[in-house]
Amino acid sequence: MQRTSVDHIGANDRVKMKITKWRVYKLKRLLGVFIVMILMLFAAACSSGTGGGSNEESGEKTWEPEQPIEIVATAGPGSGWDTTARMAAKVLEEEGIIDQGIGVVNKPGGGGAVGWAYVHGQNSPYTIFVTSPPMLLVPLNGQSEYNYEDFTPIANLIADYGAIVVRADAKWNNLNELFEDMKKDPESISVIGASAPGSMDHIQFVRVAKEAGVDITKVKYVSDQEGGALTQLLNGNVEVYSTGVAETIEQVKAGNIKVLGITAEERLKGEVLEDFPTAKEQGIDATFINWRGFFGPPDMDEAALAYYEEKFKELNDSEGWAEIRAQFGWDELFMTSEEYKEFLAKENEAMKALLDELGLGN
Amino acid sequence: MLNSKNKKVSIILIIIAVVYLLASFRLPDYPYVPVDSDMVPKTLGFILLFLSILLFFVKDDAEKKQSIPKSEIKVILTVLAFVLIYILLFEIIGFVITTALFILITSWFLGYKGWVSNIIVSISIPLVIYLLFTQFLKVQLPAGILPF
Amino acid sequence: MGVFEGILTGFQVVFSLEGLLFVFLGALTGTLIGMIPGLGPITAIAVMIPITYGMNPAMALLLMAGVYYGAAYGGAASSILLNAPGESMSVPTTFDGYPLAKQGKAGKALAIAAIASFVGGTISVILLTLLTPVLAQLAISFGPTEYFALMLMGLVMVSSLADGSTIKALISATLGFMIATIGIDAQTGTQRFTMGNVNLLEGIDFLVIALGLFALAEVSNLIFERKQSTDFTSKLGSLRLNKEEVKEMAGPMGRQSILGFLIGVLPGAGGTIASFLAYISEKRLSKKPHEFGKGSVAGLAAPEAANNGASTGSFVPLLSLGIPGSGTTAVMLGALVVLGVQPGPLLMNEHPDVFWGVIASMYIGNVILLILNLPLIPYLSKILKIPRPMLISLIIVFCIIGVYGVGFRTFDLFLLVLFGVIGFFMAYLNFPAAPMLLAFILGGMMEQSLRQALTISNGSLLIFFEKPITVALLTVALISFVVPIFRNWRRKKEDKQTLSG
Repeated sequence: MQRTSVDHIGANDRVKMKITKWRVYKLKRLLGVFIVMILMLFAAACSSGTGGGSNEESGEKTWEPEQPIEIVATAGPGSGWDTTARMAAKVLEEEGIIDQGIGVVNKPGGGGAVGWAYVHGQNSPYTIFVTSPPMLLVPLNGQSEYNYEDFTPIANLIADYGAIVVRADAKWNNLNELFEDMKKDPESISVIGASAPGSMDHIQFVRVAKEAGVDITKVKYVSDQEGGALTQLLNGNVEVYSTGVAETIEQVKAGNIKVLGITAEERLKGEVLEDFPTAKEQGIDATFINWRGFFGPPDMDEAALAYYEEKFKELNDSEGWAEIRAQFGWDELFMTSEEYKEFLAKENEAMKALLDELGLGN
Repeated sequence: MLNSKNKKVSIILIIIAVVYLLASFRLPDYPYVPVDSDMVPKTLGFILLFLSILLFFVKDDAEKKQSIPKSEIKVILTVLAFVLIYILLFEIIGFVITTALFILITSWFLGYKGWVSNIIVSISIPLVIYLLFTQFLKVQLPAGILPF
Repeated sequence: MGVFEGILTGFQVVFSLEGLLFVFLGALTGTLIGMIPGLGPITAIAVMIPITYGMNPAMALLLMAGVYYGAAYGGAASSILLNAPGESMSVPTTFDGYPLAKQGKAGKALAIAAIASFVGGTISVILLTLLTPVLAQLAISFGPTEYFALMLMGLVMVSSLADGSTIKALISATLGFMIATIGIDAQTGTQRFTMGNVNLLEGIDFLVIALGLFALAEVSNLIFERKQSTDFTSKLGSLRLNKEEVKEMAGPMGRQSILGFLIGVLPGAGGTIASFLAYISEKRLSKKPHEFGKGSVAGLAAPEAANNGASTGSFVPLLSLGIPGSGTTAVMLGALVVLGVQPGPLLMNEHPDVFWGVIASMYIGNVILLILNLPLIPYLSKILKIPRPMLISLIIVFCIIGVYGVGFRTFDLFLLVLFGVIGFFMAYLNFPAAPMLLAFILGGMMEQSLRQALTISNGSLLIFFEKPITVALLTVALISFVVPIFRNWRRKKEDKQTLSG
């Protein structure tokens, strides 16, 4: 198929060229050459990695998509949401889980708010989106007109956890030692994260600190959005770094930093990962899950919801998705729509309480 | 009184500075940082105010007088109108059709008389770009009323 | 593994028919993608990730290296030919590149850019090969105070970008800084000047401003000149440089490649600061500063060499520490992760093949790009032979695609037009646009690092005097601020004396 499309464009070009004026002709030829080269490259890259697969249809669906499906990534290309959406679309198509075409549409802006407004406006069962804790935090910060209740949670697929990190030569060896010092002298300890107060890196730290009895309004939190947060920890400008578990592994291996605690329920599996103590085992009863899953439009039709829920279950159980999880270091965390809703309601309550205490809630 | 360009511009800039300053003073407090989000904007507002007042007393540079003939202003405004209509219809009608029409009409309006090549370029460029973005780069452009 | 042994391993990977083919295809695709405003190296690499998925990692890296350099060069081409910089670090390329193209020397300008990119790229890859372990420390030596001082130094030099009234340049810069304050404030989460519009929460994108102020505003000039005969002589596509020109660009290229590399090593705004500093410092060093902004060979070569140097430099923290120092290297890191390689402090020991493969592919990418692009220049320059009316509508379309590709919303397109109108009036009233853009880029980071520093110090300003690098940079900033004023004052005094005398 790719071969024919190359020929098609090439032939068309040749016909057009004859009737085109000389100047345009030169430019067109150049463009034509480019396009053909690119399509060739594309064909070459694709042919190496296409895994076909036929899936049996398990009848009695009351809803089947009749047109291509659009997955909205509420951030730009290369972001976490975008990667999740593109990888999910890829596996859903390649493993034949969904027969319709699946396109990923980027609607970045406002930390997700622009994209959510777009999905809300479309209100179509063919427009779904990928989301994560900012879906709760951004509206709670008063930065989005729509919150999670305005959409239909379909299924959660993956999870990541927060890590509280210090330099390898720091005097603290566990969370309790750190928090004791923070209680005594809050001014001497700065915490850095990659996002603004009230967003994920801040809230995950504050959630653990509060449970440990720290006055969270006194936490000195600095945000570095230019990607310099780890640098500031390593060069000693700040003492504590709040980040995701995945970002810490290589630095821990190299002996530059130590992870005082992670926000998972229990220890993670895998080399290095299994050595990270949870906050819970240190007697601090706090967790923070960086969940990632798919949401549908407001008041989604039940049959459509059932369809997507099952398809995402299939995706979750597929080998292709397992490979991608392993590749990106994502943890499996599947929730059905019902479980998801319950979970979100609880999380939302907890976050709201924290933000209100910090004076950030709206 | 406002006979010089600098004086007129200066007044506009002073208004901008004042509006910006008012907005800066109305920014909400965040009590947990030593320097809040309003410090830099306030400083900038006052700097602009100061510079604008200075500008008021600066003489226009004589050597670089630019004047634009009236007929040209009309041309610019018309192109501007085309661009605005293009943007308005961009997502509604879709990339390919609006872009094709825009190139066709604007080129013609600005004096390009080769109809055949104009039509060919107007149709082929949007199509090629559209296919490049949606098929190869996997970046969506608005399809609009076209089926693909 | 020693350096030479290592680099040999790297070259073994690269020097296969397949390897060269991938670099070549990458460079070609990258050039094309980079030429579209809005699609710079970041997007080019991001779109390559799904394509390379499942490919042999070494080959995928070669493809990426080709795309990366290609996209950077393609950005220079649109800056030179259309006055449309695709990303912040190619803004200074427009200052002299576009005037050259307007004088009918597009081929020459593109050749200078290609050669300067090549020299900048190659010198910095050599530095990267030899010095990566040593420079890892430099990469993390900068804290908020050092960044603040660096940005301040850049901002102070704004007045050098003015060729007329200093006061107008300062106003332009202040306005640019103000625009940078729009959006959610990173240190407090406060919404500033968004007027309740969600589209403004993340601030205004650089590209909207750059394409509006530069490309769209220039379109109005093209409209006025549309009837002028566009009889570019056959020289348009000629790449020939004479001896004097080569001599003139050699010094700036050499210096700025190294300086650019060193600035690029610092995580943060490497490429942009490097290219602006290169431009400004060469203008000050030049014997012919009056030519800057009017088609100076040195003025074009310097920022191109610097931004390529910086792009390469930004690989130091990535390869030696696993810290992505720029948007592009962050995406590159993502790409490596997909290929099963996690860059980190141990990369060099655990995956020497990848480490040296990346470096070797940079050498090859640079060479291939030069070989590929020099013959393409005559064709690229012919873009300017498109009849004016058609060219004008195409430039507008390209700007719109570029901006739409950043945010995928028409709101940004209206902003683009707004900045086009602002740029038009600024040109009409002799307000320089470059300071506005520079202040917009540096201002945001400067404010954030200032406030980070003050949060860490609990509000004490003493933190700015505790570190030697900070103090040194602040001193340079102070000197660059005071000296021109002093000189002005003395000149005035002398004028008075001659008048009275």
